[in-house]
Amino acid sequence: MPKQPLSCGCDDFRATSESTRRSFVGHSQLTRRQAIGWGVGAGLSLYAAKALPLSRALEAAAADAASNPDAPVLVAVFLPGGLDLLDSLIPLNDFGAYSDLHRNIRVDKPPLLRDSALGIHPSLTQGVGGGIKGLYDAGKIGFLPGIDYPNPNLSHFHSRHFWETGLIVDSASPGWLGRWLDANGNQDNPLQGMSLAYGLSPVMRSRSAPVASASSAGGADFYIRDVYGEPFDEAMKTWSALAKAGGGGPGLKAAKRAAFLAKEVGDLLAPYAKAKGVDPLASSISYPSDSGFGDRLQTLAGLISKPLGIRVATVDAPADFDTHANQRTKLNQSLPEISQALSAFQADLEARGVADRVLTFVWSEFGRRPHDNDSGTDHGAGGLAWVQGTKVRSGLLSEYPSLHDFDDEDNLKVTVDFRTIYASLIEQWLRTDAGAVLPGARALGRIPIVR
Amino acid sequence: MARDHWTEAHVRRLFWRAGFGASTKQARYWAQRSRGETIDWLMHGGAGPPRGKFPAPRIDGRPLDPANEYGQDVLWWLDKMVRTPRPLVEKMTLFWHDHFATLDQDRPLQLAQNKMLRRNALGSFRRLLTDVTKDPAMLLFLSLADSTKDEPNENYARELMELFTLGAGYSEHDIREAARALTGFRSKRRGDGSVAVLYDAKAHDTKSKRIFGKRGNYDYRDVLDLCIGHPQHAPFLVSKLWEYFVGTPIEPSARRRLAAVYRRNDHRIAPVVREILAHPALYRGLGAPDVVKSPVVYVVGMLRACGEGITRSDWVYLLDGMGQLPFHPPSVAGWDWGTAWLSTNTMHVRFDTANVMLRDRRSVKNGATPKADTPREAITRARSAVGRPWTSATTDAKLLKLATTLLSDDPAPPGGYRQDLQARADMCQRVLRQLLLTGPDAQVH
Repeated sequence: MPKQPLSCGCDDFRATSESTRRSFVGHSQLTRRQAIGWGVGAGLSLYAAKALPLSRALEAAAADAASNPDAPVLVAVFLPGGLDLLDSLIPLNDFGAYSDLHRNIRVDKPPLLRDSALGIHPSLTQGVGGGIKGLYDAGKIGFLPGIDYPNPNLSHFHSRHFWETGLIVDSASPGWLGRWLDANGNQDNPLQGMSLAYGLSPVMRSRSAPVASASSAGGADFYIRDVYGEPFDEAMKTWSALAKAGGGGPGLKAAKRAAFLAKEVGDLLAPYAKAKGVDPLASSISYPSDSGFGDRLQTLAGLISKPLGIRVATVDAPADFDTHANQRTKLNQSLPEISQALSAFQADLEARGVADRVLTFVWSEFGRRPHDNDSGTDHGAGGLAWVQGTKVRSGLLSEYPSLHDFDDEDNLKVTVDFRTIYASLIEQWLRTDAGAVLPGARALGRIPIVR
Repeated sequence: MARDHWTEAHVRRLFWRAGFGASTKQARYWAQRSRGETIDWLMHGGAGPPRGKFPAPRIDGRPLDPANEYGQDVLWWLDKMVRTPRPLVEKMTLFWHDHFATLDQDRPLQLAQNKMLRRNALGSFRRLLTDVTKDPAMLLFLSLADSTKDEPNENYARELMELFTLGAGYSEHDIREAARALTGFRSKRRGDGSVAVLYDAKAHDTKSKRIFGKRGNYDYRDVLDLCIGHPQHAPFLVSKLWEYFVGTPIEPSARRRLAAVYRRNDHRIAPVVREILAHPALYRGLGAPDVVKSPVVYVVGMLRACGEGITRSDWVYLLDGMGQLPFHPPSVAGWDWGTAWLSTNTMHVRFDTANVMLRDRRSVKNGATPKADTPREAITRARSAVGRPWTSATTDAKLLKLATTLLSDDPAPPGGYRQDLQARADMCQRVLRQLLLTGPDAQVH
């Protein structure tokens, strides 16, 4: 019977989600309730008593931006599913071994990266200035092949949770960027930590710092059908008062917090919504068409260039990198959008004059088995991440794993711990104390990431 | 069970958790009967109070076409949830859709899977798991179709253990061996472009495998039996069911008891669900609900409370925006429940949902509101229009203050403007309904 092309793959995050998915019952310390105990930032003590909607949050955002106009911004971009290293960066100096391992799915004649023995997936040349390859050749990308952590867990949900929290334990915790805000952010400005998404990324969940999710600048404002003037103003005052009222358990409290912050975010973003055909965040760069990922990156680039006090942000790619089957087809379908959108984002930041204060970190939850199966690869270790920006140290920042010497599970050997990268980013880019965010940070080591 | 305290508040809690909320009639009717009778009705159906009349689904004047029209698969299921005589069956179907989350397959396959989950919703888990394993949408989604003895694919084996049956207590080795035992399913494209799945013994790995420390010449049926017989399975599944209904982690004693009930009843689901619905933990804090409604529960509950049917397709984009679009779970692990539903953006979409709900039949026409309404009467009017939802005393006080302000005959401030009393009375109704449907109290059950 001939093989049929099948639509399959164990994860596809195209629909809506930026959240991690994991099992949530008693088998581990990680109960779902604990895992999601940090919905939106808690502990707000502000309330705009005046009818004037632009409240302290706006003042806080403006004050943030004014007091520190050059504050570095860290953007974390998630490629869900576990991106395959071998087909993304192809080891041309060991092409025979690569061909043997990927006998069914080999990438032939990959374009060569400048000054290296590596080829790159042809789809990663698409986009502004030659896409990801163009950024690398221009010295704006540092690749991290072999990135993972000791004794990798091959479950999407566990592994992703580790990356999201920066902790290799199955216990609940806010996200690593949420914890960074708890230690270094303020208590007034929800836009300091933004998920460009419907929901809040687990990376951004905080213990106390207010954070926000929004998929566009427009649409965050509130309206009530056929209500305007005094009744509308009074209704929104009541909305805020209901949100500010005490009482309730964790569920009701979370609803109140979300209600309060949603109003704040609506007020903060209202000036940047498209109106009467004018887009205050319009870009001079051409992003991929029909790409929600590109649209969100474009919105983010625009918002970063405004005095809103954004310090950390997350964007999730829509594609499915969990290529158990049809890896060749899937990568050819998924990678162009990644390359086009991320290269446009970089060019856009440069065009808006803010590129020198933005660093983008691209990650995926694990690598893939070096031996292919029929037409794809199963979950493995030693994946690929990268940093991009005008200030990153470019080149290969970690050792490419051997294609001859595997671990006990026949997986690639891990060559760099992702927590080492987190600690390095927190210190070298955000210029703050890694120990306040990552327990045992001192022992994690560092590698130079910033020029 | 002894004649216990059983009130409308109990019925409302039970119907929210086991369904999508109780109507006023249902709450009254079942409060006059016992807890046991009420749970019996939820488990088995039968005679009850007359059901509310909800309009049959129509979009643009036409019946639904779930297999072809965009989003109408979602509307088809929402309609079932709104109009069902068996709310618990729909609530359990939603549970299994989350548990065996499948996405991105051909629409007819997804719909067939949904019917299969509904058929098995409260039956034998073994039967359900077998049907899921042979379900074409699942086989294609998790690459079990065309996983052959020469090229076994681990995708299904891994999720079978991690997400479907065990959660923990297995090794990478078990996954690899189970993947070999699960080989044999092949896909075949038919002439009309649809895909069928069949079992091809020639593609099955007949050699010996070692799973959970046992060795045998296993096939897929054996793997399912091994997983169901694994000591982790019963605690795993009953804990997940408990959290779905109760909303808080299960205590060890309850887990042991429910696991025993589950095993004693040959892995049937209904006896476990019945125990949970009767458990005092489900009725804790009746005056202070604290489980965040999932978007589907929020929307269906709102439709039922307002007496609305599926007559517009806005629910599709709204559910997407709130983060729970049926047939489109984010991954094989389903959705994250609880407070993770709430972000600034999803809260904003929840607010907008009422702007859609309060159109058409539920809209307040200009001039329709009696000008003589006192603030209290205005609140009673608004409450009854949206199904008398639960509100806290604090909320009641703030809504009363709002109505008092809007309906006062204070003059406009100097240089300012006030609408006339009729306009303010109409708008007061609109904002009260909006806030009753979307305020923090409306987000929990």
